[in-house]
Amino acid sequence: MKSRSRKIWEQPWGYAEGFIVATGILLTGLMLQLTVGNIEPALFASPVNVIMGASLTAGLIAVYFLLPQNKATKWLSGVYAAVPAIVLLLLLCMILGLTPQLPLSTGRMQASDNLFSRLGWVQMTTSWSFILLCFYILIILELTLLRRTRKKQSWRDIGFYLNHLGLFVALLAGLSGSADLKRFTMSVQEGQVEWRGTGQSGETIELPVAIQLDTFRIEEYPPRLVVVENMTGKILPAAHPESYHFVEIGKTARLAGVSLEIMDYLPHAAILRDSTFVNVVPMMMEGAGTAIKVKAAKPGMEQPVEGWVSSGNYLFPHSTLPVDEFTSIVMPPQEVKKYKSFVTLYSEKGTNLQAVIEVNKPLSVEEWMIYQYSYDNSKGKYSDVSIFELVRDPWLKVVYTGIFMLLAGALFLFIAGPKKRTA
Amino acid sequence: MSWELFIYFAAGALLFWIMGAIAALGNRHRALSIFCTTAGLLVFAFFIAALWHSLERPPLRTMGETRLWYSFFLPIAGLLTYLRWNYKWILSFTTLLSAVFIMVNIKNPDIHNKVLMPALQSPWFAPHVIIYMFSYAILGAATLGALYYLVKEKKVSNPERLMQMTDELVYAGTACITLGMLMGAIWAKEAWGHYWSWDPKETWAAATWLGYLLYIHYRLKKNASHELSMILLLVAFMLLQICWYGVNYLPSAQQSVHTYS
Repeated sequence: MKSRSRKIWEQPWGYAEGFIVATGILLTGLMLQLTVGNIEPALFASPVNVIMGASLTAGLIAVYFLLPQNKATKWLSGVYAAVPAIVLLLLLCMILGLTPQLPLSTGRMQASDNLFSRLGWVQMTTSWSFILLCFYILIILELTLLRRTRKKQSWRDIGFYLNHLGLFVALLAGLSGSADLKRFTMSVQEGQVEWRGTGQSGETIELPVAIQLDTFRIEEYPPRLVVVENMTGKILPAAHPESYHFVEIGKTARLAGVSLEIMDYLPHAAILRDSTFVNVVPMMMEGAGTAIKVKAAKPGMEQPVEGWVSSGNYLFPHSTLPVDEFTSIVMPPQEVKKYKSFVTLYSEKGTNLQAVIEVNKPLSVEEWMIYQYSYDNSKGKYSDVSIFELVRDPWLKVVYTGIFMLLAGALFLFIAGPKKRTA
Repeated sequence: MSWELFIYFAAGALLFWIMGAIAALGNRHRALSIFCTTAGLLVFAFFIAALWHSLERPPLRTMGETRLWYSFFLPIAGLLTYLRWNYKWILSFTTLLSAVFIMVNIKNPDIHNKVLMPALQSPWFAPHVIIYMFSYAILGAATLGALYYLVKEKKVSNPERLMQMTDELVYAGTACITLGMLMGAIWAKEAWGHYWSWDPKETWAAATWLGYLLYIHYRLKKNASHELSMILLLVAFMLLQICWYGVNYLPSAQQSVHTYS
C-alpha cells in the first residue's frame, strides 16, 4: 500500500496483508464452525486453559527471541497487523450487537437453521470466528509488547505498557477463565436451608455452600397515581406521561388535566369488591394491599368523583376510579426500593456466619460470591422466597489485575495525551 | 427544583453560550467569550444540582437525564478546546449541538421521579455515567473538528494543527470512555455477578471503544491519510450514538438489562 510498485506479500508488509491474514483467520473460524459447531467452553476448563494460555505466552516469547529479525513477527507486532484485526473484531462486535443472541445453554439443534446460526453468530461469544480473532489480537498484543522492550525506553512507554499489558492480561484471563466460570441460582424459602443450585443449562447440583434464609425484606417506594385513557390503557398526557407520588392525606395535585385531592390512605388494606361496590378496610395482615381514596374532577364536570384506588396484589384485585367515560385514575404497582435477605451461611469447610445480602452488596464466602438475584414476583413484598445467584470465578483476580492496569493506563493517556508530532 | 423550570434555566444558559460563541467569532473578545460561556455553565450547573437535590438521587437514570448532562458537558469541551487551541468556531458548534439536545429534552421529557431501582443504587452509578457523558462531549468536539475538516477540506489552512487537536481530544475522550467502561465492569461484577456479559449496551460500548482505538492506531503511521482519519472519527461517533441511545431501538435490546427509562 505504501508504494504502488510493491506487490502483495512482497516485503515490507502493510495493511493489505493485514486484511488478508485477519480475513484468513476469520474464514478459518467459520470453517471450523461449519464442521464442528460452537465452542464448548467446558472442554477448556482448567487445566486445559492454563496449559493453553501458558504455552501461547511462552511460545510467542520463544518465537520472538529465536527469530528476532523475522519479518513476519516484526510485521505482526505493528500497526499494519493491528488495525485490520481491530476492524474485523469491530465488525463481529457490530453483528453481535445487532443480532439477538441465544443463551449459551441452547444446543445447536434447537437453534433455527439460518445463515447466522450456522456461522455461529447467534452465540457469537462462543463462536470460532470470534474467539480465534480474539486470540489473533492477543498474539499481536504480546509481540507488540515484546518488541517495545527492545527499544530505547522513555517515560511515555509507561502508558504503552499499562494499556497493552493490561489488555493482554484481562483479555487472556477473561477468555480462558470463562471456561471455569460457574454460575448457579438458588431459591430459598424463609426459614429453610438450601444447598442445591440450578446451573445455566438447568441442571441441579449440590453446592459446597448452603444458605439459610432467616428473613427476606422488601421496601417499596410510595404509591403513585396516574391518569390513563380507558380505551388504550395509556398513561396521559400521551406526549409525556405524568405520575403523582403520594406524600400525605390532604394534598392536591393536577395530573393530565384532572385535579386530584387525596382524601384517605391505607398502607395496609383489604380491598373487597363486587360488581358495583368497592369496600376498603384496614387489614394488618400479610397480603394487605395499598389503597388511596381520591377525589377527582375535570373542568366542566358537575360533581367531582370520589373513590378508592389500589394497585392490587396477589390477594386482592386492583381497583381504579373512572373520572369520565374516557379517563380513569389508576395506581400502578409500587416500585421496589430495596430488597435484602438476612441469611445464615454454612459451608463444607466449616464456615458458619450470619450476613445480609442485597443488590449491589454481594457476599463473598470462600471461593463464592453470593448475590441477591430475585424473589417471588407474584407475591411482591410478601414474598417468602429469596433467589440468590452463586458465582465462582477463579480467574477474577487476574482479570482485575489487567483491568487496574488499564485504568492506570487510561489515566496516563488522559494526562500525557498524544505524542507531539513535528510537522 | 422541578423539571417544568428547565426551559427557563436552559434558555438562560443558552443565551450566555450564544453570546460566548459570538464573542469568540470576533477575534478580540476572548475574555468576554470565556466569561459568557462560564456564566452559562453556572446557570446550567445550578439547575442540575437543584434537580439532583429535589429528586434525592443522581439525575442520571433516564435518557433525558443523560442528555441533560451532555448539553452541560458540550460547552465545557468546547471551552477547553477554545482555551487550548483558540479555534474560534468551536464554541459555535458545541453551543449548537448542546441546543439540539436541550430542544430534544424540552420536546420529549422523560418521567422524572425519585424512583431508583436497586441495581442503580451504587456508589459507581454517578462516576460511571458522568465520565461517559463527559467523554461523549469531548468526542463530540472531536467529531465537530472532523466535520469541519471534511467540509472545508481544501480550505483548511493548517490541517496538521487541526489533526493535532482531534488527536488530543480523542486521546482524552478515549481515556475517559476506557475509565467509564472499566468502572462499569467492576460495578457489573458487584451488581450482576459478572464483569462482562456482552449485554447489547456492553457490546456497543466495546464497539465504540474499538472504533476510537482504530483512529488512534491508524494515526500512529506518519503516512496516515487525514481524510480517512476524520472519516474513522465519524464512524466511531456513530457507534457511540448507537451505544448511548440507538441500542434501545435494536432487536437485540429486548435482552438488555441496561434499560432504565
